[in-house]
Amino acid sequence: MSGIPPTEHVETEEKNYLQEGHTIASWLLTKDHKRIAVLYLISVSFFFFIGSIAAMLIRLELTSPRGTLITSETYNKAFTAHGVVMIFFFLIVAIPAVFGNFLIPLMIGARDLAFPRLNLLSWYFYMAGGMMFLVAMMTGGVDTGWTFYTPMSSIYSNGQVTLTLVAAFITGFSSIFTGINFIATIHKMRAPGMTWWRLPLYVWSHYATSVIIILGTPVIAITLLLVVFERVAKIGIFSPELGGDPVLFQHMFWFYSHPAVYIMVLPGMGVISELMGCFSRNKVFGYQFVAMSSMGIAALGFVVWGHHMFVSSQSMYQGIVFSFLSFLVAIPSAIKVFNWSLTMYKGSVWLASPMIYALGFIGLFTVGGLTGLYLASAGTDVHVTGTYFVVAHFHYVMVGGTLLAFLGALHFWWPKMFGRMYPEGVAKWNAMLVFVGFNLTFLPQFVVGYLGMPRRYHYYYFAPEFQVYHVMSTLGASVLAVSLLVPGAYLTWSLKNGPKAPANPWGAKGLEWEAAASPPIKHNFAGIPVVMGDVYDYDAEAEELAYRGLPPREESK
Amino acid sequence: MSEHVHAHEHSHHITPFGTLMATFIKLAILMAATIAWAFFAPQILGNTPISSVINNLVALGIACVKAWLVIQIFMGVKFQSNVVKTYAILGFVWMTLMFTMFADYGTRQWEPVQGWTPGDTQQALPRADQPYEEAIPPRSKINIPEGKH
Amino acid sequence: MAISLDKMNQPQDVVYEQFEDLGQQQETYVLGMWAFLVTEVMFFGIMFLAYTIYRWKYQPYFYALHQELDWKIGGLNTFILLMSSFSVALAVHFHQRKMKMPVLLCLGFTNLCALAFLVIKLLFEYIPKWNKGHYPGPGFSWDSTYIPANIAQLWYSLYFGTTGLHALHVVIGIILFSVLMFLIAKDHPIISDYLPTEMLGLYWHFVDLVWIFLYPLYYLMPK
Repeated sequence: MSGIPPTEHVETEEKNYLQEGHTIASWLLTKDHKRIAVLYLISVSFFFFIGSIAAMLIRLELTSPRGTLITSETYNKAFTAHGVVMIFFFLIVAIPAVFGNFLIPLMIGARDLAFPRLNLLSWYFYMAGGMMFLVAMMTGGVDTGWTFYTPMSSIYSNGQVTLTLVAAFITGFSSIFTGINFIATIHKMRAPGMTWWRLPLYVWSHYATSVIIILGTPVIAITLLLVVFERVAKIGIFSPELGGDPVLFQHMFWFYSHPAVYIMVLPGMGVISELMGCFSRNKVFGYQFVAMSSMGIAALGFVVWGHHMFVSSQSMYQGIVFSFLSFLVAIPSAIKVFNWSLTMYKGSVWLASPMIYALGFIGLFTVGGLTGLYLASAGTDVHVTGTYFVVAHFHYVMVGGTLLAFLGALHFWWPKMFGRMYPEGVAKWNAMLVFVGFNLTFLPQFVVGYLGMPRRYHYYYFAPEFQVYHVMSTLGASVLAVSLLVPGAYLTWSLKNGPKAPANPWGAKGLEWEAAASPPIKHNFAGIPVVMGDVYDYDAEAEELAYRGLPPREESK
Repeated sequence: MSEHVHAHEHSHHITPFGTLMATFIKLAILMAATIAWAFFAPQILGNTPISSVINNLVALGIACVKAWLVIQIFMGVKFQSNVVKTYAILGFVWMTLMFTMFADYGTRQWEPVQGWTPGDTQQALPRADQPYEEAIPPRSKINIPEGKH
Repeated sequence: MAISLDKMNQPQDVVYEQFEDLGQQQETYVLGMWAFLVTEVMFFGIMFLAYTIYRWKYQPYFYALHQELDWKIGGLNTFILLMSSFSVALAVHFHQRKMKMPVLLCLGFTNLCALAFLVIKLLFEYIPKWNKGHYPGPGFSWDSTYIPANIAQLWYSLYFGTTGLHALHVVIGIILFSVLMFLIAKDHPIISDYLPTEMLGLYWHFVDLVWIFLYPLYYLMPK
C-alpha cells in the first residue's frame, strides 16, 4: 500500500486512544472500537484461563487408568465446561472480537466501525452470557458435553442445563452483532481507493466469517431455545415420546456448529496471510485465490454438517452425500496452505516470533486438515467416531490453528495496540515451546484414539496399555500450559517496561502500519487516507540484498 | 458529532403514496385469494396423489408473491443498491439450504435397516418382533373424519 | 418538556463521526438492518423446517388438527397486520417528507393494530386453548379417538412455538414503536432523519412477512 500521500503521515500531538480517558467509566461506556477490543482481550483471556483449568483437570484425571482423582460426574462436568468455555467464550470470539474489532477500521481506513453502540452492546451480551455460564458452573455444572444432544439435555440431565443454554443463546447475539457490524463496515466504509481487490486478506476472511455468523448463529440460538422450552415447558419438538425426532436436534445443531468451526478458523487464516506476507517480505501468492477460498469455505461449510452424524440414525444415503461434500472443503483449505507456503518462496523470510507461530499454524493445520479427510470418509469414520482420534483432529485445527494464530496476532499487533515492544528473544523460544508442547499433547491422542480409546471416558482400566499415551499427553499439556503463561507474563511486563514501539516496527505494509501511529489516535488517522497502490506491496529482493549488505540492484530498464 | 450539512443531495427514494396504496390493495386481494384457494382447492383438484402437491405449491406460491410485494415495495428493496438486494435475498436462499435435511428424512425408508420413517406414528423405532409393514400404518389407512373430533 | 406537533423541528441531518457523508450513513444503516433481518429469516427458518418435517411425517393427523384453529380469527389478524404494515410504509413516506403529525398518526395506528393483533390472539386463541388443556406439557388433555395424544402435543408444540416466537416479535415491535413515537414527538436529537422509522419499518414488515407464511401453513393448511 504505497502511495499514501506524505501529508497524511504528519505526526500529530494528539493523544492516543489509551490516553483519552483514565476512568473506569471511560472504558466501560466507550464507543471506540479499539477500547472495546481491549475489553474483549481481557475478558477472552479470562475465559481462556477458566477453560484451561478444566482442561488440566481432564488431563490429570486421565494419567491413571482407574480414574482416581475425580468422580465420573465431576469429570463429565469438567469436559463440558472445557468445551463450552473454549468454544463459545474463547474460540468463536477470540480473533474476530479482539483483533477484528481493533484492526478492521484501521485496515480499511475508517474512523470506527459502522455501529459503535452495537459493538459495545455485543461486549455486554458476551459478558452477560459468560457470567451466566460461570454461575451455572458454580451452582452445579452441566454434564451433557458442549453438544447438548437431546434427549440427554432435554430430559435426563440434572445439571444447570437451562442456564447454560440461555448463556450460549445470549452469547450468540453478541457474535451476531459483531457480524452485522463487520459486514456493514467492510461494505460501506472503505477509504477512497480501497477497492475489494486491495483489501488485506485479513479483512476478506473476516468478511467470510461475518457472513457465516449471521447465517448460522440464529439457527443454533433458536435450537437451544427449543431445548430450553422442552426442558422447562415440556414442549416436544425433539421428544421421541411425542413422535418427535431427537436426531433433528443434531441436524439443527450441526447446521450451525460445523460452519462455526470456520467461524473459529477463518479469522486465524486471515492472520496467517498477513504474517506470511509481512515476514516473507513478499506479495501473498495468489491473492485472489486466497480471498475467494475464504468465501468458498464459508459457502461449502454449510453443506457438510452431516459428517458429524455418520453414526447417528441419519440415512446412510445422506451420509454418502455428506461424505463427498466434506471432501470438497479440502480444496479451498489446501489452496490456502499451498499459497502461504509459496509466499515464502523467493521471499526474504524473517523468523520473528509471530512468524514462528504462523509456521506452526501451517504445519499443525495441515495435519489437522489431513486427518479430517479420514473422518470425512464415512467408512473410516465409523471406526474412529467418538475416539480420541476425533479429539486430536479438532484440537489440531482449533488449538494448532486458531490458538496459534491468536498468539501470532497478539505478538504481531501488540506494538500497534499498546505501543510497546515485548522481549523478542523470550517470545521466540516460547513460540517454539508452544509448538513442542502442543505436539506432545495431541500426537499421542491420534495413536491412542486409533487404538480405540473412547472420548469422554474418565477411566480406561479395560486397556491399561493406553496409560503411556495419556501420560505423554498430560506431560505435553503441562508444557503447553507453561508456554501459555509465559507470554501472559512478558506481555504484561512490557506494558510498563517495554521499549516504546515505532509506528511500524516490522516494516509491514498496510494502512494500520503506514498511516496510523502506535498506538493509534482516537479517530485512527489524522485524515482519511487515500489508497493508491496494491496490497502487500513488498519488495523481497531489495530486502534480501539490504539484509546481506549488498548494494541494491541497478534498474535494468 | 460532526454536523456537516450533506454536500451532495444524495436524495433517498420516496415511494409515492399511490404505489403504496396499490400494493396494499394487491396484498389484500391476494389474501382473499389465499383463503378462497384453501376452500375451493379440494373441489378443483379432487383426490389424486398429485393434488396435495399442487395444493401446497399454489398456497405457498401466493404467499411468495405477497412476500415479494412486501419486500420490493414496502421494504423498498426495489429502490436500494445491489448490496442490499443481495442481502435481502441471501437469508431466504440460505433458509432453503436447511431443507436439504430431507435428503435424510426422505431416504430413511430405503435403509437396509429400518429406522424412523414417515407415517411411523407409535414409536421411533419399530419393535424387533413386529414386521416392519405392520409397525407403520400407511398414509392411506389413516382415516380421520372431517370436522371436529 | 414541550411537545410541538406541527412540524419536524429537527437539526440538520446529523452525520455521525465515523461516516463521511449522509448518503454513506443511510446506506450503511439500511445494509446493517438487512443483515439483521437475514438472521431473523434463519431464526424463523428453523421453525418452518421443523413444521415441514413433522407435517410431512404426520400429514393426515396434522390436517385434522389444523381444523382446531379458526381461519376467520387468523384471517382477521392477517388483515390487521397487513394494515399495520401499510401504515408503517406510510410513516416512512411521511417522515421522508418531514411531516410530523402524519408520521405520529401512522405509527400510532400501527401500534394500535399490533395491540389488536395480540389481544385477538390471546382472547380468541391462546386462552380458550389453555382452558381446554390444549397446550403441550404435563397438563395436556386430549380425548380424540382418531388422533393420538402425543401427535396432538407435537402439533401444539409447533403451533405455540412458532406463533409464540412471532408474538414475541410483535411485543418487541410495540415497545420499540412506542419509544420511537415518544422520541419523535419530543424532537429528540437522536431522531435526526427518517432512518429510525425506516429501520423499525423494515423490522415490522418482516414480522408481517412471517405471518404471510404462517397463515396459510397453520390456519389454511393445504390437504
